[in-house]
Amino acid sequence: MTLIKTENLTKIYSDGKVQVEALKSVNLEIEAGEFVVVAGPSGSGKTTLLNLIGGLDKPTDGKVYLEGVDISLLKRDEMADFRLRKIGFIFQAYNLIPVLTAFENVELPLILLGISESERRKRVMEVLNLLEIGELADKKPNEMSGGQQQRVAVARAIVTNPSIVLADEPTAHLDSKTGAMLIDLMQEMNRKRGITFVICSHDPQVIQKAGRLIKLRDGTIEDDKKFW
Amino acid sequence: MIFKLAWRNIWRNKRRTLIVVVSIVVSVSVLLLIDTLSMGMMKQMLDNQINLHIAHIQIHKRGFNDDKTLKNYIPDSEKIEEVLRQIDEIKFYSRRVISYGLINSAFNSSGVIIVGVEPEREKNITIISRSIVEGKYIGEDRGIILGKKLAQKLNVEIGDKVVLMVSDLNGNVSSDVFRVIGLYESPSSEFDKVYVYIPIESAQQLLGLGDKVIEFALILKDQNFINSVKDKIARAIGNSYEVLSYDDISPLIRIGIEMYKELIWIYYLIFGIAVGFGVVNIMLMSVFERVREFGVLKAIGMKNKKIFALILLESFMIGVVGTIIGLVIGLVLYLPLSKTGVDLGIFAESLAWFGSGRIIYPVLTEFTLSLLIFTMPFISLIGAIYPAIKSIKFEPVEALKHI
Repeated sequence: MTLIKTENLTKIYSDGKVQVEALKSVNLEIEAGEFVVVAGPSGSGKTTLLNLIGGLDKPTDGKVYLEGVDISLLKRDEMADFRLRKIGFIFQAYNLIPVLTAFENVELPLILLGISESERRKRVMEVLNLLEIGELADKKPNEMSGGQQQRVAVARAIVTNPSIVLADEPTAHLDSKTGAMLIDLMQEMNRKRGITFVICSHDPQVIQKAGRLIKLRDGTIEDDKKFW
Repeated sequence: MIFKLAWRNIWRNKRRTLIVVVSIVVSVSVLLLIDTLSMGMMKQMLDNQINLHIAHIQIHKRGFNDDKTLKNYIPDSEKIEEVLRQIDEIKFYSRRVISYGLINSAFNSSGVIIVGVEPEREKNITIISRSIVEGKYIGEDRGIILGKKLAQKLNVEIGDKVVLMVSDLNGNVSSDVFRVIGLYESPSSEFDKVYVYIPIESAQQLLGLGDKVIEFALILKDQNFINSVKDKIARAIGNSYEVLSYDDISPLIRIGIEMYKELIWIYYLIFGIAVGFGVVNIMLMSVFERVREFGVLKAIGMKNKKIFALILLESFMIGVVGTIIGLVIGLVLYLPLSKTGVDLGIFAESLAWFGSGRIIYPVLTEFTLSLLIFTMPFISLIGAIYPAIKSIKFEPVEALKHI
């Protein structure tokens, strides 16, 4: 089943004088359950592609379909709701809410979904334990290491059982060992839970774990290989 | 969770939040004291006017209020007394004879208002009997009591003789000698210079009124009954009489109180503007420090209206915390002062001129309390609207790039 489809996806950044074409008519289809790594040098358009797929940004031209829905037609609040239900995000800088504990950070999307407290507690602890950070539940981000924070970010991204998790350079701030562990963990989530992952990275150890590798250069797809 | 998030957010920068909280605390406690003191002063002025002479209700022959001459006497006071005795809401009443006249001592003279009273009944109507500072209150003898200020002007003491000179009912000059038996000192120095008291029989004799009286002064069981009792009396005694409340007799007091009520809004406005700017300032700083976080919240699916509500809630909480502490401090200061009063001795002369005592007892009304409870949280909410609008203007992708 096609989960994501882009049609002539184009993004042009303009500051009034200079125009930069970050993505040039990108056509792409991603199936449910894939473990996709989008690689490419800086400025190739990886993050732009991820932002457009995740509905964080609007394309200059072209369309993005997520589960058949043209997300460029969604209004602001509809898009927020769509992101809440369908998409999980993992950021390079973890981006946990500093005043909330690990448990509360993971719980936040479930609260926004209106899930009951007992159900939230069950699901949050299940995900934290799955990621082996159950003991960090009461810790705040500044009491955790980078690797631990990124695990909490992964937990927050998958706790709502989204259709897809979008990760932007998730290992960039981690040492190689922690980075490798994190990518193994994401792969495990992909295999065990069937969650589709789209990861932007130029980290070789992430690239070598890709189920499908899409190489971007100057805003166009240079290469697209499927390994498993 | 939104409450928890808002509460923790406001304490991220403790010093900044505390500065605004302290400004609210100071504003609330100062406003509480200013408002209750002013209200106390107004209430005292009103009570003094009522208790000094006016009473709750006065009854005269129609036309007396515009033409205070003896010809406007009450011809059949027994009929009125009969009506008054049947109205339960009336606590006390007293008959009076009132006339303008001249008082002479061996040294000086002065224009006065002569009040002939029923000494025992009048004790329940006014505070004059309790304001005697030298000598005694009038009884059945031919004594006169004067304000201490007037006695000083006339250079008389207890036991000295004074002569009252009036124009009687027939327009003839009439005079009589009275012995000063008591000096009083009321909260109003201007009153003390003018009003002198003699027994009603002496006044009737001096003025040639026979057994006629000029006015009835009434004290009710509850001030709230005034309008209904006034109507009841007016219906019963007919059109030949005027039944007036203290408000009709001395509208300046009501105007003063109305003016004060308008004025107190200015205090609230000044403090509100000061606090409002503080709130806008810290909330804007707080929003700009958290741009990236708003991007994250939007990315995980938080809608703009929730983010907007979060900012308003944070500001509202600051307003509530400041108000609670301010009210506690204000009440801790207010409660003992409401019993002991505040001695404004340095303003004693002007306060006496206004008819208020030098000791002011602050009065906290339900209206003031509600105003204090709601003003600062409301202003905090208003002050957070602009920062909250800013917080939802950021596009998620731009916000996430923010450092």
